[in-house]
Amino acid sequence: MATFMDVNLVRYLCTCGKRLPPCRLYLCRHCLKLRCADCVQHEVDSPYCPNCLENMPASEAKLKKNRCSNCFDCPICGHTLMTRATSQMVPSSEDPSKSTPKKMYYMACSFCRWTTRDGGLADQSTSNGGWKDEENPEAKRINTLLESYRSIAQREKAEKERKKYVKRRSHAGFQDRYGLTSVAMKWKIQPAMSNLSVKETEKVPPAPELVSPVEDFDPLPSEIFSDIVQLDKVTYLSHRLNAPEFQPPATKDLRPVHKHLLVRRSLRCRECDHNLSKPDFNPLSIKFKIQLIALNHIPEIRIMAPATFSVNKETVVTFTLSNPSVYSTVVKLLPIEGDTDLDYMTAKVDLPKSDLVLALHDDTAVYDDGTKAQQEFKDDPRVVVFRRANKLGFAAKVTPFCKEGEVKVSFMMKHEFRNTAAAIQSEDKEPKLEWLEHRIFINLGRIQL
Amino acid sequence: MKSSVKIAPGAVVCDECELIGDITIGARTVIHPKARIIAEAGPVIIGEFNIIEELVHITNRFPDGAEGKKNSQVMVIGNNNVFEVGAQIESTKVGDHNVIESKAFVGPQVELTSGCIIGAACHVTTGEKLPENTVIYGAKCHRRIQRERPPAQNLQIDFLTKILPNYHYLKKVSKAQSPPK
Repeated sequence: MATFMDVNLVRYLCTCGKRLPPCRLYLCRHCLKLRCADCVQHEVDSPYCPNCLENMPASEAKLKKNRCSNCFDCPICGHTLMTRATSQMVPSSEDPSKSTPKKMYYMACSFCRWTTRDGGLADQSTSNGGWKDEENPEAKRINTLLESYRSIAQREKAEKERKKYVKRRSHAGFQDRYGLTSVAMKWKIQPAMSNLSVKETEKVPPAPELVSPVEDFDPLPSEIFSDIVQLDKVTYLSHRLNAPEFQPPATKDLRPVHKHLLVRRSLRCRECDHNLSKPDFNPLSIKFKIQLIALNHIPEIRIMAPATFSVNKETVVTFTLSNPSVYSTVVKLLPIEGDTDLDYMTAKVDLPKSDLVLALHDDTAVYDDGTKAQQEFKDDPRVVVFRRANKLGFAAKVTPFCKEGEVKVSFMMKHEFRNTAAAIQSEDKEPKLEWLEHRIFINLGRIQL
Repeated sequence: MKSSVKIAPGAVVCDECELIGDITIGARTVIHPKARIIAEAGPVIIGEFNIIEELVHITNRFPDGAEGKKNSQVMVIGNNNVFEVGAQIESTKVGDHNVIESKAFVGPQVELTSGCIIGAACHVTTGEKLPENTVIYGAKCHRRIQRERPPAQNLQIDFLTKILPNYHYLKKVSKAQSPPK
């Protein structure tokens, strides 16, 4: 069923208190409550590259610093870089005097037109890559620091374990009645002790040399004040921070940045621990293994046509109500008493008092003539404007009591829900009928003065 | 308005484009159908090897306040330019090797030198002479200077010269000075 992702006029209340359109909400079919993306637990399924759609296990992603090895981003605007080919005349290997055309590849951004040639990189002869990553100038120092701290951490860990076994040794005395257990204890202690003894005989790794603090540096050259600043040669702060190891101040030193990986995630309800949304593992496919979007289970209210409003005048507004489930539902619309919070309600709404019956969502109804449905239901023509397949249009009278601003109405919607998930587990053939209640907030537009 | 259009041999000008006024089109220039070149305030001279795509409006408009003076300003467009679909050019001086991307607008006070790229949907109206190899991109019209000018489109021109006559009628090439009607 199509819906508008950007239009947030009709919103449902989530259990965490936020008001969101039904396309952003999930229905937990075990606790029968609406959940939104914020009050739900996100779990990482797998990281993938948004450009080449390469799947990789989370451990490999961690090694590559969550970056794709084949795809690059433009250092200036962040768009994906495309590989382009040119043919250059290169002296051929057999005959140095003749020159043959050879395909050379370079990368270019299609948005800001930055090319690897702008960065001073030579063209590559293979289309895949060969774009080398520059080594961090501080790499050696970082590695020595890491190694020394790693060895210190290992020694501390070994000391901790030794302490544990030292404590246990006090019990070994009284267990010596049984020869077997003492042998077992010996085996337990020995490997740990042998580990430790190896460590102690090893030389203690030398602590990394301390970097002496800089105390003296050259004063500011006076050319800074007299030289004209060429703004196109200087990088923006955002460009520099994209490459934190180098932070090039000049645009000619900018290099392509490896593309950041995105994550395929599955959502889980915090209260009952059931999965709400579980997409397919393959990043190429858009299907879901479990998809419990509220839009597919709860009747959706939409505003049918815009209407003009003036203070204290009654306007008739038509809404459409559509039923997405494979069972027919009954919908009751109830007003909210006693809530005069101007933020949510700036108009009084006169809702249809009778129950609205909605037909089931039938995919084959597209091919029918449409005359059957109207014979089955007896509709009050003042309330029900039209009825087609699983949709219904009803009229409500809205009277704004604020002089200016947006016309907002709020009411409760109760509907029947047949829990198909629980039915599969139990042995009953008919799924259980439950009444679900939702609070709905609708923004109808501004009052015309 | 009398329409005197001089089309050099080698140019491919589709019949469905609107050419109004005194227009000179250089050799090997390709003008797609539904392009509009209106020489209101003076003649328009278009160079060689240009590509002018559909819905491009090249207008030599009267400057504000000087309405009615015909032949007051000449609009000169150089060689090897590409005007992508929907671009609107009112600038009087366009150099060589520029690319004006789709739905861009170049105002009358702007002067494009060579190698400039005006990004898609960018509106450039401030009166200035853009330095060479300028790239204007993005919703906020960010600028940067490229190292080299955009690549030439000769392959595309060859392809269009072969394909367009198969599907469209072309305007006749003028052999000599076209006699005024």
